[in-house]
Amino acid sequence: MSKKKIVEFSRYPIAFLAMFVQIFLIIAMFLFASLAFTPAGTPAGQQRELGAVVVYGFIIGLFLSFTLWEIGFSIREEQTRGTLESLYLSPASKVSSLVARVFAILLWSGGLSFVAILFVGGVVGGLPAQNAGLALVVLVFSISGFLGIGFVFAGVTIKLKETAQLLVNGLQFFFMIFSAQFFPFAALRQVHPAIVDGVSRWLPVSYCVDAFRSLLIGAAEPELGLGWGWEILIVVAFGVLSPVVGYWTYKRIEKSARRQGTLGEY
Amino acid sequence: MAAARGGFGLGRPGWRAKADVVRTVFVARLKIIARYKGAIFMESLIPIVFAAMPVLLGTTVAAQAGRDPGTVFCETLLRASPTCTTNYKLYMLIGAATFSVVSLMLWLIGYWVRREQETGTLESLYLAPARRFWVLAGVTAYAFVRAMVAFVLAILLGSLLFQVNPFERGIPLALLFLAIGFLPLWGLSFLFGAFILKIKEADSVIQVLQWVLAFLMGVFYPITLLPPILRATAGLFPPTVVTDGVRASLLDIGFFYGSAYGSLAVLFAMAIVMPLLGYEVFELTERRLKRREGVGQY
Repeated sequence: MSKKKIVEFSRYPIAFLAMFVQIFLIIAMFLFASLAFTPAGTPAGQQRELGAVVVYGFIIGLFLSFTLWEIGFSIREEQTRGTLESLYLSPASKVSSLVARVFAILLWSGGLSFVAILFVGGVVGGLPAQNAGLALVVLVFSISGFLGIGFVFAGVTIKLKETAQLLVNGLQFFFMIFSAQFFPFAALRQVHPAIVDGVSRWLPVSYCVDAFRSLLIGAAEPELGLGWGWEILIVVAFGVLSPVVGYWTYKRIEKSARRQGTLGEY
Repeated sequence: MAAARGGFGLGRPGWRAKADVVRTVFVARLKIIARYKGAIFMESLIPIVFAAMPVLLGTTVAAQAGRDPGTVFCETLLRASPTCTTNYKLYMLIGAATFSVVSLMLWLIGYWVRREQETGTLESLYLAPARRFWVLAGVTAYAFVRAMVAFVLAILLGSLLFQVNPFERGIPLALLFLAIGFLPLWGLSFLFGAFILKIKEADSVIQVLQWVLAFLMGVFYPITLLPPILRATAGLFPPTVVTDGVRASLLDIGFFYGSAYGSLAVLFAMAIVMPLLGYEVFELTERRLKRREGVGQY
């Protein structure tokens, strides 16, 4: 399945290039937006830190968004092509089938993230990259956690069909804002402290963004204020539990769809 | 089609029949979208989320320097223009809402061509006696209405959320910019439809193009921040002039082409050139495709 996805991916070079260009345009737009609010004479170090906040948050957002879209969308594609039922009659493992759907896009996102760091680093004169090893561990567990959310969405796609895409879209924007992917959590706190305390703190994705970003920037403490130990523990727990819960949810929805005979219905 | 003149299948549709084609396509599209109420709601919400991101980012940047974000934003505008605004929230909201109009127009028209190709109905459309122009007019009219509904809802909801008032001044002028801006957008959509017809991969092209547009339109920033060559290129782009015109009208800041008259004159010229150019390119692409592999191949 992964190989098939990579081959399919390679057949659409324009899509490949488009995704690449798109990422740089989004980052460039945010950099220009921050420039519009940067007072003249702001020290370069401050600009670098801000560039890091944007790009490191964006990397987590990139993985989350691609995982959510790819799993749900590819299930939908199988539904509309009429191949989903045949696939489920095969003895292939369902987990492998689901994970394989995002393998190619995760590889590509990794490459994109690396180049994005180089790009922003080039623009702002270098980005801080402290604790890279630990940040990578946080990233791996975060991706594992996102896979769990992706599994849930695969199930939701089977159930809700076209509407699931709308839900993914909404959820993507929800995380973008409440997990502070493009700005520090302090910005949300400035609007109202209840946003961080009442919403952001309850989202595991927020801890993924915060831990990854704060580690790379080399902050003394992560922004959400639980301390390094707790935040990393939450990310690890999210990475371990989310796929299990996600897959369990998916299996339940799939079983119900099979019983009702609506698996291939679109 | 009931009003077609002539008989034996050789008749050309009359004006009533042409109007009926536009109306039928328009109503059919509206009926389809009416089934997806969530989509309309999301379309209104997306510009608000888009506007919220630079607002939150900007607030942090200015706060880090111990400054008021509105004042810093005003200083940035003053670097290139004699007037400025501290109402950066409304500035971002207008940019994001106008961007959603442009993006929806391109997406709905470009994706219409692609969808007809995929479902295998595009070739059948070419066998109908109605000219594509009228079918496209129906699709674009629908796209415009849908985009405007999203625009108005986004401005209203966003104004409530950001606690800004977009109705203080310049409403008629802003509406004039939007109305004239529809024509070049129409032409741009035809160009885009032709491009999709030719290269097929609609999704990726639409996605990348909408970000190119957002970048050149200055959705999150004044385009005076762009390097001179990019700034000049952006100024030749109809969506940039529309966004700039709406912002300048509602926020009482400087126009990209010096004055409201200057910007309106440029937009008016674009409104004449773009639809003609767009439709000509669309027809040319169609003719070429019909001669070669056919329009239905995807």
